Amino acid sequence: MELDYNKLLSLTAEMGLCLMESGAETYRVEESMHRLLSAYGVAGEVFAIPNCIIATLTSPERRPLTQIRRVPAHGTDIDQLERYNDLCRRLCREAPELDAALEQVAQIGRERRSYPLYIRLAGYFLGCGMFSLFYGGTLRDGLCGGVCGVAIGLCLALTGAFGANLFFKTVAGAAVSALTALLLTAAGLGQSLDKIIIGALMALVPGIAITNAMRDIMAGDMVSGISKGAEALLIGAAIALGTAIALGLAALTAGG
Amino acid sequence: MELISGYVLPCLYAFLACIGFCFLFNIHGIGMFICAGGAGLGWLCYLLTAPLVGSDIIQAFLAALVISAWSEIMARLRRCPVTSYLLVALFPLVPGGGIYYTMEHAVSGEVDLFLSTLLHTLGLAGALAVGALLVASFVRLFQKRREHRS
Repeated sequence: MELDYNKLLSLTAEMGLCLMESGAETYRVEESMHRLLSAYGVAGEVFAIPNCIIATLTSPERRPLTQIRRVPAHGTDIDQLERYNDLCRRLCREAPELDAALEQVAQIGRERRSYPLYIRLAGYFLGCGMFSLFYGGTLRDGLCGGVCGVAIGLCLALTGAFGANLFFKTVAGAAVSALTALLLTAAGLGQSLDKIIIGALMALVPGIAITNAMRDIMAGDMVSGISKGAEALLIGAAIALGTAIALGLAALTAGG
Repeated sequence: MELISGYVLPCLYAFLACIGFCFLFNIHGIGMFICAGGAGLGWLCYLLTAPLVGSDIIQAFLAALVISAWSEIMARLRRCPVTSYLLVALFPLVPGGGIYYTMEHAVSGEVDLFLSTLLHTLGLAGALAVGALLVASFVRLFQKRREHRS
């Protein structure tokens, strides 16, 4: 059967987009797309940065074909990432009909499973509370840290529903959590304010973003590395700003 | 008693905290325990190396090495991307306290303290990244060689 090069290109670009959207590293996206193309016996060029994917190949009539995908702002979804990665391996091994392959990619997108909000909030409670304990807080601090974590979770979900950008979301989350911590400490439940705030902030910190940025730069993907590094710095600044706003407000009201 | 409060409890906290964060990154099933196990293991390494090296930046570096190695092995075994496990397992090492105290010093105008805390925080973040990178580069080197031969 004659290979439909446009469809192959669509499949490759779609696969790259899906991987990138679920939070894969740049080199993984490029490598997967390359492998997919060579599985169908085509040599092509691919290029990926965190918000753009380009795939191009030359058809047997010596006509160049190119597809570009713009990657929207995205989070990390490990479950989706593992499934797309699995599918990509399978496609490379079996090289099935292109229509069937495209359908399988779309199917993973439709069957996306995620935790409902209340379980995610429980996750925020457990994670942030335990980090408050981890940083040396008492049991009551841990409880307060958990409550602050839930406040962050609610705030992120709410601002996310309004379509706010990452910077604003982080500022709002940090400010809300610091205010909650202040209130809880003032009410006498929390004992050490800093332990509570630090524990809750762990849900916002860009820890892995810094590591990924360095990894990309070392691997030679300069543009990805720099843009991820800038994102990490921006989030760090947003956390500091949000917390500073809340603490400043508290100092003002306490002083006046 | 000291064993429990000094070593067991912090690792347990790290483990449970990472279980909590697994829900946020949509990790299902056994992956949750692998992530959290990596986090607990990493923190144990951090605590155990404390008397040997006596510098928290080097401790963080060694712990990052252990966590990355654990994640790489688990990723190979389960045929999954490494990020799945590395992402959450590194969390206890992230200098969250450093970020907060840096900000606090900046707000209250203590420039000297601000600068020294900032540098220390950057050092910790750097140690983390370099540790994770070293293992990843090493593994890829090995992989490339094997692919080359076959």
